[in-house]
Amino acid sequence: MKPVDELVLEDGAYQHRTMFWNEDIYEAELEHIFSRAWLFLTHESLIPEAGDYNTTRMGEDKVIVIRQQDGSIRAFINSCRHRGNTVCHADAGNTRQFTCSYHGWSYGSNGELIGVPLEQDAYFNQIDKSKFGLQEIAQVASYKGMVFGTFDASAPDLETYLGDMRWYMDSFLDVPGGIELIGPPMKSILNCNWKTPAENFGGDDYHFGWTHAAGVAVMGGPLEMLAGNTGVPNEVGFQVGSSYGHIFGFIEGGAAALQPFPEWREMYDNWLNSRLPGQEEKFGPLQARFYKGHWNANIFPNCSFLYGTNTFKVWQPRGPRAIEVYTWTLVEKEMPAELKQMMHRSNAATFGTAGMLESDDGENFEECTQTNRGFNTRQGYCHAGMGQQNEGPHPDMPGVISDNLMAETGLRNFYRTWARMVNGDDWTQIGAPATAPLKKLRAV
Amino acid sequence: MADQTQPSTGSTQAGQPVDQQTHFEIERFMVREARLLDQDRLHEWLELLAPDIRYQLPVQEVRYRKDTQPIGSATGTYIFDDDYKLLEMRVNRMDTNLVWFEDPKTSSRRLITNIDAEWSEQAGEIDAYSTFLTYRNRRQSDETWLVGAREDRLRKTDQGWRLVNRVILLDQRVVQDKNLHLFL
Repeated sequence: MKPVDELVLEDGAYQHRTMFWNEDIYEAELEHIFSRAWLFLTHESLIPEAGDYNTTRMGEDKVIVIRQQDGSIRAFINSCRHRGNTVCHADAGNTRQFTCSYHGWSYGSNGELIGVPLEQDAYFNQIDKSKFGLQEIAQVASYKGMVFGTFDASAPDLETYLGDMRWYMDSFLDVPGGIELIGPPMKSILNCNWKTPAENFGGDDYHFGWTHAAGVAVMGGPLEMLAGNTGVPNEVGFQVGSSYGHIFGFIEGGAAALQPFPEWREMYDNWLNSRLPGQEEKFGPLQARFYKGHWNANIFPNCSFLYGTNTFKVWQPRGPRAIEVYTWTLVEKEMPAELKQMMHRSNAATFGTAGMLESDDGENFEECTQTNRGFNTRQGYCHAGMGQQNEGPHPDMPGVISDNLMAETGLRNFYRTWARMVNGDDWTQIGAPATAPLKKLRAV
Repeated sequence: MADQTQPSTGSTQAGQPVDQQTHFEIERFMVREARLLDQDRLHEWLELLAPDIRYQLPVQEVRYRKDTQPIGSATGTYIFDDDYKLLEMRVNRMDTNLVWFEDPKTSSRRLITNIDAEWSEQAGEIDAYSTFLTYRNRRQSDETWLVGAREDRLRKTDQGWRLVNRVILLDQRVVQDKNLHLFL
């Protein structure tokens, strides 16, 4: 594996193509990123009662996330401590215990080993069950309902880890009643490296008007002007790079823009307008504007969402050349049932497994990975230099801000953090402010 | 359910197998529909749909047999949950010639089998069951197989049979494909 400072160059603007192919680099990611970063596990609304659980993965590790009797949430590696078999094979459920299908060891919802068949006759009561509980995830925490976990006991707490991003996300996470995810998630596979959809969702507004030209053309609406990438005024929006590698592109006032029909846009817009005064009162107009806009975002490393279109995804890595995609619909808990259903239908039709826009992306993502099969092809670098001279800090908002929505500010921020983590930097270095020299400051 | 091993009794009561002529018409409908889709004749396919169609592909969670109640906000989700307007939008999108990944085009072949049909509780409407094995081939050697079943409601109109409701049951919890950019 090349040294990290040869993999990511010029402040994140170049990425060596082996990063999207090489097994050793992938192992380094599992060790230094997926074993340290806070990873999305579930939403509290998906496991509200004691004993409710979801299974998921953290990197390649299978985990069970389960609500405890006292209402807290804990997570465990989904693997029996006896011979290693998977303990729970369901996506979700409610249970008091998990029983391994191999020899019948059973574990309580708190992870403790509570039952060992033939404990007396074969183990002669000499097995110390307290030593063989399910391996617990070091830290599990919820931020306004979003549940994350990390294997790293020394990782900063979740609020710290969300960094600058938290200031922005509060605008829509902190609504009366909160938000929820509608499940169960759609799941599909993509034969691409996990970083490609992560950078795309969080920082690639450039592709939108071109890749999705057909969808944008038939759906119409305020984003139709982006179709074909013929021009994009600064007023449309900007990108934000947060500390700890989180990123998003923001379209001013555009939350409802990707709803497929005018009457759906109107229905959602009416809802947003009814809630906006409350958000402005709580946060002030500068922060509350993010409630009414459209976001394409990635929480480092692999949790992406489109606020407004309300798709919510995790890109689960499966080796360097494949991922599993999990897709939920994000809604506000207090939305009327009719609006929630509309949000789910529009999410499925745009960014679900059969979504008109999701389908556009898949082929590109896969080819961006699979071309690296060529030995000579993968000796080069990918480029993400757009707008590098036109980004910097902002007087009133945290993070690095780009001058135009069409920028690769997000990509560079993502890869700067990637490099720090894969390099094994300590947490103070990883969480250092998103750096980028100020060249020109836009007035937003 | 009626004893499907017996020939039609001529009854049109709900759950009774349809008569031979109706069965023949349903089978023809499905075979013709598959051919229209295989040949990308999507506007002609739209003509086979009732204006009040619901076209769904539900997400099927993997659960233990004894533990089937929905949990929390996991109230049920769909990969397709389309009405006529959404289906028409999908077709119109293809007409733009801006869907880059369908150029060169994907070829698809639908094998529709195990067709069964019975009268529904609604006069003039039948419930039809079928299974599919659908092959797709894209670009050079990108190929996938999709296997599943369909539960359809068909309505007899002056123009022939029309699809009123379709529930597609795909036998893959994790869809083994990059998209489901096709009609099943």
